[in-house]
Amino acid sequence: MPFNLSRRAFALGASATALAACSPATESSEANFVNVYTARHYDADRALYAGFEEATGIAVRALTGSAEQLLERIRAEGDATEADLFVSADAGNLWRVKEAGLFQNVVTPSLEQNVPAHLRDADGAFWGFAKRARVIVYNKARVQPADVATYDALATARFRNALVMRSSTNMYQLSTLASRIERLGAENARAWAAGVRANFVRDPQGADTDQIKAVAAGEAQATLCNHYYFLRLSQSEDPADRAAIANVGLVFPDQAGAGTHVNISGGGVTLHAQRRDNAVRFLEYLVSDEAQTMLAPLNSEFPIRPAIAPSPELAALGTFREEDIPLDALGRHQAEAARIFEAVGWR
Amino acid sequence: MALDAAPAQRRGLAFDGVAIAAAVATLICAAPALAVIGFALAPGDGGANFGGELLRDGALGTFALMLVGGGGAILFGAAAAWLVSLCGFPGRSAFEWLLVLPLAAPSYVLAYSYASFTWAGGWSPIEVRGFWGAAFVYAVGLYPYVYLAARAAFASQSACALEAARTLGVSPGKLFRRVALPMARPGIAAGGALALMEIAADYGAAQHFGLTTLSTAIFRAWYAHQSLHGALQIAAVLLLAALAFLMIERRARGRASFAGGSTRWRPLPRYQLSSLAGAAATAFCVALVTLGALLPLGWLARLALLHANLGDVVQPFVNTIMLATLGALVTLVLASAIAVAARRATGAGKASLFAAAMGYAAPGAVIAMGALALFAVAREAGWIGGLGTGLALAALFWCYAARFAAAGVGPIDAGLARLSKGLDASARMLGAGPWRRLARIDLPIAAPSIAAAALILFVEIVKELPATLILRPFDFDTLAVRAHSYASDERLLEAAAPSLLIFLAGLLPILVLTRGITRARAGLRRAEAAPAPQAGAR
Repeated sequence: MPFNLSRRAFALGASATALAACSPATESSEANFVNVYTARHYDADRALYAGFEEATGIAVRALTGSAEQLLERIRAEGDATEADLFVSADAGNLWRVKEAGLFQNVVTPSLEQNVPAHLRDADGAFWGFAKRARVIVYNKARVQPADVATYDALATARFRNALVMRSSTNMYQLSTLASRIERLGAENARAWAAGVRANFVRDPQGADTDQIKAVAAGEAQATLCNHYYFLRLSQSEDPADRAAIANVGLVFPDQAGAGTHVNISGGGVTLHAQRRDNAVRFLEYLVSDEAQTMLAPLNSEFPIRPAIAPSPELAALGTFREEDIPLDALGRHQAEAARIFEAVGWR
Repeated sequence: MALDAAPAQRRGLAFDGVAIAAAVATLICAAPALAVIGFALAPGDGGANFGGELLRDGALGTFALMLVGGGGAILFGAAAAWLVSLCGFPGRSAFEWLLVLPLAAPSYVLAYSYASFTWAGGWSPIEVRGFWGAAFVYAVGLYPYVYLAARAAFASQSACALEAARTLGVSPGKLFRRVALPMARPGIAAGGALALMEIAADYGAAQHFGLTTLSTAIFRAWYAHQSLHGALQIAAVLLLAALAFLMIERRARGRASFAGGSTRWRPLPRYQLSSLAGAAATAFCVALVTLGALLPLGWLARLALLHANLGDVVQPFVNTIMLATLGALVTLVLASAIAVAARRATGAGKASLFAAAMGYAAPGAVIAMGALALFAVAREAGWIGGLGTGLALAALFWCYAARFAAAGVGPIDAGLARLSKGLDASARMLGAGPWRRLARIDLPIAAPSIAAAALILFVEIVKELPATLILRPFDFDTLAVRAHSYASDERLLEAAAPSLLIFLAGLLPILVLTRGITRARAGLRRAEAAPAPQAGAR
């Protein structure tokens, strides 16, 4: 009897399999396409793919995953790789692919014209197309904006037992500390990380959104996060999220100093790209007027081009000065940043 | 006589196709894990210097979670199985299948859901966070592994032993401790081993709760310290620990004698609990089902309704069912071969059980890296090309087998434990070859276990994320991939619908599975064959 039942279950599964095989899913029939390995998995990106196909007739086939694992897949595939383009939401990861020798340098007039020099690789291995700021979010009832005007403030006794922070395994924490190592040296970075660590309310848990909610609920006074998580909560379909965001404010730190830390979403053409021209066209499309205008309202990231007006929600956050360091520093100093975090007990 | 026996035995070995098939199956299942260990031992970038005690803390963290979370899961699972198998209380027959529900919910989904409604600003006064939060999620989420195995064990127990004990005036508690529990120990141990290895392999929940375990240490070494080699070394420690754990578990089990005793089967006698004890039993079962499934999934349903945009989940749903069906079949065939051959083998042959099973304790991403590395070797040798759709899917099925073989081998092996050595020996004396014995003795006896294993494998693959993520073809999403995409982008509202569908996709086989176990009792089958007086007793 159990066998009969399971046989029926298998028959069900088998018919589903046949269904899947018949559906127009996996292999794109169009000859004209480009393959993208991407560590970004936003709905916004699917809109970009559709826009690109409409503009050029070139279909985008995407494989999403973590940047580190996609890199290993490209490495394992060698010159037989399916990937034409590698996209990531962190300059450090892009740098790693470059270091592995798996990007080819691409320089075209439109890319050079559209992407500011400090938001792309000096050799043209990868190009930014959107940027994110690492901001401080604070509890309005307990903190004045002036108290959190700098990243340094978070390491002072003012915030003793008053901070929540995300794990330092996260790439944005790593890139924040890597940029400090680049500007001020490892000793300074270590002292800062130790100071912030000493101010924790509790060990790191959850992601950026969880930290913002903890600050809103008064469990802590301030935290570091990417600017768009703040925006998303304020636009959330969950009324509890919108109520929470009313309790917190956002500051772009270091405006009087080096500027707020920014990271890029960017991409590069793989060394063994089989559809190099299509890949370059897609990169160019990502920094075109159309894509840049589309990206901000969809995903709340800042356009890479200063000339493109941000969406009204983004504009409401105000303008800010961003730090100006070589992007590859975020990759070069990442392992050291991880060691510093490890040593000060911020894991 | 001795002179005659030796050549016969040699001839038997030479033609034992089952053993050869099992050896190949073991190699397939163990290869990615062995590759990980191999690469970890190879000289690398000296990534062991992380400037902290990552490995030590990870080992301690994993051990503590296994102790508390795993201990809880074993306790809950065994107690629940005992209650529904051998006691009578209000709602018992409904709980028989309701108690399995949490099996369909991945730990990471439970963790995200609990975090979402108990953390800052949530409506729960108790926050599910940190070590105790993770241990709680494992205990209420993983107890079904123990429950299923223990129930199968209780169900296949000889009623005579229990009745004899009862006739001697043993109380229900004592009967559980002294008779039923020892007899169900292999089943509880097998289910407990799965639950403990699930905990060791879990990355999502541990990471979200901010814990340092061997699994989170692997990804910290890899992602933050940029040392894949260091990550593989930690993974190798995890795999070898799993291997040692499986062997110890097997030895401990081997010492306990639990030979079937009587082969006369009748429906199990049931203790009718007093109204107070019955109410407590009902409350216990309600709590398990609520905490392990209804509460966290109800919350997800609320989020899914807030974001009333299902998006495109049809194709991911179909893809999920397809991968799970084919993946379960592939793994099942390999696992059956391994379990049957190991049961017949002595000494070294038994080792194939552990070698094939250790992958269950490692995060899927690690197994996938082992497979990718072997793939790279084959590609450089010119045997294969890039990971096109066909090859990517093949690699994926391979990883499923490598990762989940234990979930197939364990139950099938436990099912074969009912086979007395004498039966196999008799068949051999009568001249039955290895394949004939497989078809006529092993498979029929293990049939209920094989069916159960197939369904567990199906559910495992429905829930699987990391290997699918890295090895799938282009534009090929599963429900878990879709849920992960949104969750990793901290869009919990959007992640809610695909997460719920993961649960629903796993639900159907689970219902089939529980029905199967209920009916798998030899006594019932015989009772059905001949018009039986006790047909109504379940």
